[in-house]
Amino acid sequence: MILKKLMAIIMASVLLLAGCSSGSKDAANKPGANGANSGKETKEITIWAWDPKFNIAALNIAKEAYAKINPDVKINIVEYAQPDTIQKLNTGLNSGTTKGLPNIILMEDYRAQGFLQSYPDAFYDLSDVIKASDFADYKIGPTSYDGKQYGVPFDSGVTGLYYRTDYLEQAGYTAKDMENITWDKYIEIGKKVKEKTGKFMMSTDPNDLGILRVMMQSAGSWYLKEDGKTPNLAGNEALKESLEIYKQMLDEGIMTIHSDWSQMLAGFNSGNVASLVQGNWITPSVKAEASQSGKWAVAATPRLTKTPNATNSSNLGGSSWYVLNMDGADVAADFLAKTFGADVDFYQKLLTDVGAIGTYTPATSGPAYKSGDEFFGGQNITADFAEWTKTIPKVNYGIHTYAIEDIMKVELQNYLKGKDIDQVLNDAQKQAEAQLK
Amino acid sequence: MKEKKSGLSLHKTTGLTAWSFIIIAVSIIVLFYFYPMIDALLLSFKSGMGANLQFVGLDNYKRLFTDSTFITAVSNTFFYLIIQVPVMIILALFISVLLNDSNLKGRGFFRTAIFLPCVTSLVAYSIIFKYLFAADGLVNMLLMKLHLIADPIQWLTDPFWAKITIIIAITWRWTGYNMIFYLSALQNIDKSIYEAAKIDGANAPRQFFNITIPMLKPIILFTSITSTIGTLQLFDEVMNITKGGPGNATLSISQYIYNLSFKYNADFGYAATVSYSIVFMIVILAIIQFKVAGDKDA
Repeated sequence: MILKKLMAIIMASVLLLAGCSSGSKDAANKPGANGANSGKETKEITIWAWDPKFNIAALNIAKEAYAKINPDVKINIVEYAQPDTIQKLNTGLNSGTTKGLPNIILMEDYRAQGFLQSYPDAFYDLSDVIKASDFADYKIGPTSYDGKQYGVPFDSGVTGLYYRTDYLEQAGYTAKDMENITWDKYIEIGKKVKEKTGKFMMSTDPNDLGILRVMMQSAGSWYLKEDGKTPNLAGNEALKESLEIYKQMLDEGIMTIHSDWSQMLAGFNSGNVASLVQGNWITPSVKAEASQSGKWAVAATPRLTKTPNATNSSNLGGSSWYVLNMDGADVAADFLAKTFGADVDFYQKLLTDVGAIGTYTPATSGPAYKSGDEFFGGQNITADFAEWTKTIPKVNYGIHTYAIEDIMKVELQNYLKGKDIDQVLNDAQKQAEAQLK
Repeated sequence: MKEKKSGLSLHKTTGLTAWSFIIIAVSIIVLFYFYPMIDALLLSFKSGMGANLQFVGLDNYKRLFTDSTFITAVSNTFFYLIIQVPVMIILALFISVLLNDSNLKGRGFFRTAIFLPCVTSLVAYSIIFKYLFAADGLVNMLLMKLHLIADPIQWLTDPFWAKITIIIAITWRWTGYNMIFYLSALQNIDKSIYEAAKIDGANAPRQFFNITIPMLKPIILFTSITSTIGTLQLFDEVMNITKGGPGNATLSISQYIYNLSFKYNADFGYAATVSYSIVFMIVILAIIQFKVAGDKDA
């Protein structure tokens, strides 16, 4: 008897459990379905970004600004590590449900094309919401696909040559000597600096080929051809020269090696490294060492000499905002359009409060872009960066940047061990062609 | 009797009762274990970017054999396997025999100390190792202060030393874990066997090789299989200490799967193929290990 009662209870609870689960499913589905059908706006949007001192800080300013325009919208800003956002986005989009995904996501420009092409219907077309021509030209390539504008360009990754004026002085160089130099000249200066001060000119991580990307883009070249799909390694003049410069810097002993980001920061913050070629987003990290105030300056990125069309401006990193095609997309798009897409004052605040240089061209005439920085000896680095941004060669980052970079990392090691450069590039090309389809 | 009203025989009722007890567990196992396994197998025959997957038959499996990154990942993983698993097993065996000696003072302390690494989080200890083995890290400083080396060893950025760093890290983390198995097995060996051996005049090494090792054989087999599987699935350490670099000198198979899915343009189909290659390798290795160790005891 007792057994039977127990059994009945178990059966009932099983049924109840099943009932519960299906019930909750319905409940979760309904608002979404209703919202889509009735066309009612969702008044709550979620945004993912990864750096509390940079892009999240920027979002907070935007949120404040938007609250004045449309106070009804509730904006949730969620911080995830950058690789996590990519992972969650990949799994979310692949599972075919947008549940758990944000309305707006920040994505690195190097990755954008991959996502836009892999998940064609997942992103909201912003062509009519923002004016693409208002943004720096080189940002449009990665953020648009098939003639449609999907991304709102955010920060500029325009690069500069940050250098220690005091070390350079000891080596006998002035600010004038650093203007629009070539990499050959840079190495020559580096040797002098090493000789006079014992400091390394640059520091590099063999696992991060950022410096090669900077050199390539400065000559309008990339790992991939114009179509963004065909590997462009064998016979790539810019890449070849970049590799040669890389090896030369190591061979001459002016470049030291670090194995992670914090070690790189420690390199120049401790005064062991005399210069760095990085995106302007490194500025806050350079300024973190207050005792070095007044000892830094920024010059234009060195240029390649053998490669045609080489310039003194390049880009490293940088990211843009994307709206996911789901409930609330129109609200999300409106938020981006009225802040990142149009608000000149917002960009002034972004620069003074966060130190972020946007890529919204009309903003560069604002007052915040006109003041010097004591840390850099009064130099108006913002104006300089804004100027270099205009001449960054536009390249197609394509869909395989990171896959090819991993192949290049291996071949770079072989090259450093003495393998012939043309052979290195040919082998890398073969591997890339076999691997990427 | 009320039971008769239900119209079911006693046999059927108990059968139903039994089923209702296990049906939840079974359905959850099927849903969360077998369904994903089968789906992953199906996925491994597809390829494409992100959501645009297409059926490609055996192309993915053919691609494995020409994919030099995959081959490097496999050879790296086997390098870890061949060097690290025997070193760790021998070390664990050695330590456990030492700790099993009842004359040793502070046994409990040493046992805890050696087992303690196993309770640390994989990511946390990896990050600490990364800092210990940095070019200007503690290990290099120590070696230089002791005048054992003149220049810092590039533990993380030299292809050879990076592999060694990974091996040192895994060995530190897992030796204690295996040691516990040996310790418990050693305690089950009848003391009288050793006493008899002593009377026969067998010295300590002799006892170790002729009594301890044969008695521990099933445990040695078990730990070597679990360690082999663990090494084939190696991910956290490589991801956090070297990120697979320099180049792909330390890349493990699992990390390659991660790269294919999340770092590069997502190709979940090919990633599933690589995952299944691990399954095949583990099955083959386990069969070999059973054969070598003799399956009588296992």
